[in-house]
Amino acid sequence: MSSAAMELVNLKKTIGKKEIIKGLSFSIPKGEVFGFIGPNGAGKTTTIRMMVGLMSITEGDVIIQGNSIKSNFKDAVREVGAIVENPEMYPFLTGWQNLKHYARMMPGVTKERMHEIVKFIGLEKAINEKVGRYSLGMRQRLGIAQALLHNPSVLILDEPTNGLDPAGIREIRDHIRKLAKEENVAIIISSHLLSEIEQMCDRIGVIKNGEIIKIQDVGEETDKEEVIHHIEVTPMDKAMKILNETFQLESVELDGNLSFRCKKEQVPEIIKRLVENECQIYQVNVAKGTLEDQFFELIGENTIE
Amino acid sequence: MNRILKLIQNEQGKIFIRKSTWIMYIILAVLIFGNALLTNSFDGLKKDYEGDDWRQVLEEENKELQKESEEFEDFEDYNNSLIAKNNYYLENDIQPAPYTAWTFVQENISLLSIVSLLTIIIAAGIVANEFRWGTIKLLLIRPISRSGILLSKYITVLLFAFYTALFALVLMWIFGAIFFGIGDLNPSIVVQGEDGFKTVSLVANVFTSFGFKLVNLVMMATFAFMISAVFRNSSLAIGIAIFLMMGANSIVAFFADKEWAKYILFAHTDLSQYMDGNFLMLEDNTMGFSIAVLVVYYAIFMLLSWIVFTKRDVAGQ
Ligand SMILES: Nc1ncnc2c1ncn2[C@@H]1O[C@H](COP(=O)(O)OP(=O)(O)OP(=O)(O)O)[C@@H](O)[C@H]1O
Ligand SMILES: [Mg+2]
Repeated sequence: MSSAAMELVNLKKTIGKKEIIKGLSFSIPKGEVFGFIGPNGAGKTTTIRMMVGLMSITEGDVIIQGNSIKSNFKDAVREVGAIVENPEMYPFLTGWQNLKHYARMMPGVTKERMHEIVKFIGLEKAINEKVGRYSLGMRQRLGIAQALLHNPSVLILDEPTNGLDPAGIREIRDHIRKLAKEENVAIIISSHLLSEIEQMCDRIGVIKNGEIIKIQDVGEETDKEEVIHHIEVTPMDKAMKILNETFQLESVELDGNLSFRCKKEQVPEIIKRLVENECQIYQVNVAKGTLEDQFFELIGENTIE
Repeated sequence: MNRILKLIQNEQGKIFIRKSTWIMYIILAVLIFGNALLTNSFDGLKKDYEGDDWRQVLEEENKELQKESEEFEDFEDYNNSLIAKNNYYLENDIQPAPYTAWTFVQENISLLSIVSLLTIIIAAGIVANEFRWGTIKLLLIRPISRSGILLSKYITVLLFAFYTALFALVLMWIFGAIFFGIGDLNPSIVVQGEDGFKTVSLVANVFTSFGFKLVNLVMMATFAFMISAVFRNSSLAIGIAIFLMMGANSIVAFFADKEWAKYILFAHTDLSQYMDGNFLMLEDNTMGFSIAVLVVYYAIFMLLSWIVFTKRDVAGQ
């Protein structure tokens, strides 16, 4: 058996004459957090609906822990916990009653397990309140609790950061990292905001118009690709000249800093040269949101076909 | 099997935790109580044959009916049948049974159509509401087939129909007993059979009517359930089902002279038309044909519900 927890094999979905998902193939190993990024209408939710059997698959297949969701639905879905779009729960039941409801639908979910999950997700105080009175953040948490009840090996979260404040996002990020590292769960998180999930993902897949246009490890790009750096340095014209002559780098003056594109591995050498030539360096910054820039470059304008 | 029981437990829980369900039960109880109260306060409805002068009471009643027929010609047929019945008592020297709890239940058995109404509301919502709440997504991603989910919901509807009808029946009897007394254990009544009048057991008569009402109840519930599963819209299901239930008799009457009228579901849903003393919905109806039509409609409703629910994509609303 391969170590992939979930595998998409040339997955396609056609509704009417419109091909919404155009052949996705990728696999997610155990313990990996996979970010599924794309603009509105790219097909994230559609893909997720096929992964959990809510929508029929036009062509291709989804394999979860070796079981096809098409031909072996029960065994495949047993390994999956998911939130699809919004974390909708029964508003007239309490959080606990909601969990109990889903626990009855799966084998082997004990009361102890339910308490454990409630504690893990930090809902102890509100668990006996009606879900109708929950805030969106509380419902997101209950949604995650519901998805984790049966110890799934694959966790699928469609826009889990939707409507959360920064503290909430940070908390979810910690939960997700912990689940991946300690429980070896494969986690798929979709979002249209890269910045929100970049820090919790090991790998990012970018989807646009139903196609994966790039899959990239997070953290890998900074070594090999050129990134914008800002250096606060005096005298500036001298530094500019060194960059140009010694490293063949174009630089511009920006807000009192010297800005230029270079690879990460060049940075020590550049600093050394500048210091040797008696330039005063006050600080060096790497432009934030480098992936974000690439992301927008990749998806271009936010067009929905 | 165990799993299905747990699913049914879930469904029952979702019905009875909502206040609207309890309000429906309260309304049902109030209506039954109101009927008993009205019957009790109008002497005309509750005749007194208990004394030794019951023959006089019957004869006076006949005179009044006669007078009424002369004033309002429309009543003539109906009144004549009542007079004929009274005469049967007199001729055979049978003292009419006193008005008791069982009489009240028999005369008000049509109150069970309120149970149909409640069951339609439950059946219409049981699938459609999951779509409205968005919870259908969390329901269908469990290691249970869609058929299993749908079956548990359908069984829940049937259970609801059954115990609500039973509740209504028991309540009618209790209110009847409070207002009119329990009376004989097994009183007899006179009904018009195919060849003249005859005496039958009142209790047996009540339970036969009840059984036939259950058939009607199951058909309407299954119909609403089907609309709910196919269109995923509870208001639509409630609207259509109640409209058809209310209009059933008019629909049949309107098309009665058409060749295909005998294939209309509502010409057959009320099987009590075959009981002694009742009128047929269509002249040529027979019990066997009615049952055949009901079975075919039932199979169609079930098939449609199952095919659409198990095959169709669950996408955004
Ligand atoms: N039932 C349907 N019939 C026709 N087209 C559909 C249907 N469902 C989705 N689509 C189309 O499929 C495309 C992908 O939709 P999807 O909801 O998967 O996007 P998404 O990536 O989840 O977007 P968002 O970020 O807004 O959630 C959209 O263009 C949408 O119009
Ligand atoms: Mg989406």
